[in-house]
Amino acid sequence: MTIIECPRESDVLDAVASRKWPHRVSPDLAGHVASCAVCRDVVDVAQAMRADHETVWQEANIPSSGQAWWRAEMRARQEAIRQASRPIAIAQGAALLVVLSVTVVIGWLGWTWIRQTPPTFDLSAVSAQTLTSPLALSLVVALFALAVITPVALYLVLSDE
Amino acid sequence: MFPRDVTLTDVERLDRVAARAVETLQMDEDTFRAFYDRTARPVWVYLARITGDRALADDLLQESYYRFLRAERSFDSESHRRNYLYRIATNLAHDRHRSRRGVVSVPVPAEHEPSALASHHDVAGDAERRTDLGRAMAKLKPRERELLWLAYAQGSSHEEIADSLGLRRASIKMLLFRARRRLAALLTGQPGQRA
Repeated sequence: MTIIECPRESDVLDAVASRKWPHRVSPDLAGHVASCAVCRDVVDVAQAMRADHETVWQEANIPSSGQAWWRAEMRARQEAIRQASRPIAIAQGAALLVVLSVTVVIGWLGWTWIRQTPPTFDLSAVSAQTLTSPLALSLVVALFALAVITPVALYLVLSDE
Repeated sequence: MFPRDVTLTDVERLDRVAARAVETLQMDEDTFRAFYDRTARPVWVYLARITGDRALADDLLQESYYRFLRAERSFDSESHRRNYLYRIATNLAHDRHRSRRGVVSVPVPAEHEPSALASHHDVAGDAERRTDLGRAMAKLKPRERELLWLAYAQGSSHEEIADSLGLRRASIKMLLFRARRRLAALLTGQPGQRA
């Protein structure tokens, strides 16, 4: 069975951490390490890592706590604003879509009407013809949709929540 | 729900939203700054060593504290709070490691930096040892590097390591043993198990 720990591991670690290893430890501990594979590994690894840790610690160039707080605060604000702006952007997109749709429908109806209208302009005849046309129904539906969707879009844009 | 104020412009409204976002951070400024001053350096050193990349450690340090501040959690103690910060940092390092898989990153220390040179007597020996450690660490798995660094460089207990890495406490001993044996073999140039 492989031994994965040694009861004297903490003594060895303490000796390395307090820089007593290898010259200022008791002969008993030194003798133990010489005969214990686990503690030998602990010494090799802990010594190398402690030395490296000390050097990297001194080399670390950390931003100040004030800078770190300021950055975090700015980022939290930006993210909150981005999130809150999303419904506005959606409402604006929806409103634009409605406007474009209505423009296309009106343009199409207008073009149809121009092609069907006789060269001589008779307002009463045109009105009657247009109102009885099935295309006129589409125009009315589109205008009605615009009248309903516009207030909803404005509500979404201007409401607080 | 906030009362509707029809006179509020979008800018004012968004400003209020931004102010509320700052209020929801985990700590107030003074508490954060004190916590940061206590923990930032060890966390940076940890990140620099487990990633082998100082610039990346800078980025991950900032991201770790931001995520920590945004976490909606309560902490029983300072050590619980610190372990949670390490867990965030570790997960970020893992994410970055996964996204950069295939790019070889060898954590060779910057032993030529003046501060490193001036502070040691045995310059050549130290530099050599650090390079050896850097090369050996690069051959370990990220999880092994994390375990070893926390245990032997920072002196964390098994409980702290388990909390910081999100591992079961019972498994720490065995994982640490394997990682330690592997690193010791790499450092001493003895492949396989010691007698």
